[in-house]
Amino acid sequence: MVENSPSPLPERAIYGFVLFLSSQFGFILYLVWAFIPESWLNSLGLTYWPQKYRVVMFPIYVLVVIAIGCVLLFGINMTSTSPLNSIHTITDNYTENQQQKEYQEGAIPALRDIPISEVNQMFFLTAKELKPKAKSYID
Amino acid sequence: MEDEQSFSDICGGRLSLQRRYYSPTCREFCISCPRLSLRSLTAVTCTVWLAAYGLFTLFENSMILSAAIFITLLGLLGYLHFVKIDQESLLIIDSLGIQMTSSYASGKESTTFFEMGQVKDVVINEAIYMKVIYYLCILLKDPVEPHRISQVVPVFQSAKPRLDCLIEVYRSCQEVLAHQKATPASA
Repeated sequence: MVENSPSPLPERAIYGFVLFLSSQFGFILYLVWAFIPESWLNSLGLTYWPQKYRVVMFPIYVLVVIAIGCVLLFGINMTSTSPLNSIHTITDNYTENQQQKEYQEGAIPALRDIPISEVNQMFFLTAKELKPKAKSYID
Repeated sequence: MEDEQSFSDICGGRLSLQRRYYSPTCREFCISCPRLSLRSLTAVTCTVWLAAYGLFTLFENSMILSAAIFITLLGLLGYLHFVKIDQESLLIIDSLGIQMTSSYASGKESTTFFEMGQVKDVVINEAIYMKVIYYLCILLKDPVEPHRISQVVPVFQSAKPRLDCLIEVYRSCQEVLAHQKATPASA
């Protein structure tokens, strides 16, 4: 119970500080790689760097990936939406095999999936007396 | 007995619902969509021809202009014959079944019939179609397992009326189906 709470803890403070230091160090290293000419770095003995071209490439690449990711996510949502004639808009293999618990007087009824015919009858056939109140919510 | 009312579809266009009440056990609902408007036809023709003229000035080939005229004519004929649905109707007969007819603008009619033994229920379902819409559908049952829904058939697919129109059709259909359940036909 105590491990799962979102409250501040000493370990979390340490993790946060380590992350802060390492991200600052990574940023300074990136700036050093970008601005200091190759010859100065070679004279210091640090020769195994990636090409300077990648300094410009990495940020642009990340931004383009994020932009395409937005479009891709939208596309994945669209393709995985069931079409109007699909059985998945109505039932499921779980609802077809559900067992009915017998009704106990005074208790809350057990949770189950109500068949669409019953839901329709409740909404549209018996709603004549409820119509003035329900009208504003129906498109 | 005939009745006509005007409703709107999910995009806001006008639709007209005609209800024909032949007998307590036989009813027909026709939804008519607005006809192809001259304004949209002119707009599309003008864009296609202007684009063809632009290409002609670029390439100096007069075949482009004739091809554009040909494409416009064929496109219009194809659209009227295969795409533009003028009227959709649903005929429900108690002991016999449910018939759906779509009439296209060129006069073509396409019909689908489901016999009453296959039909489990007619319900209004909600689904996502760029936004959440209500649509009427026929639930078909398996002859092997009558408690399972084997297929969902949406009706009024190209007209797409709104919920007020669907409730009218739903109530009428449920009256007919209740009548059918009360007096089961002999197998």
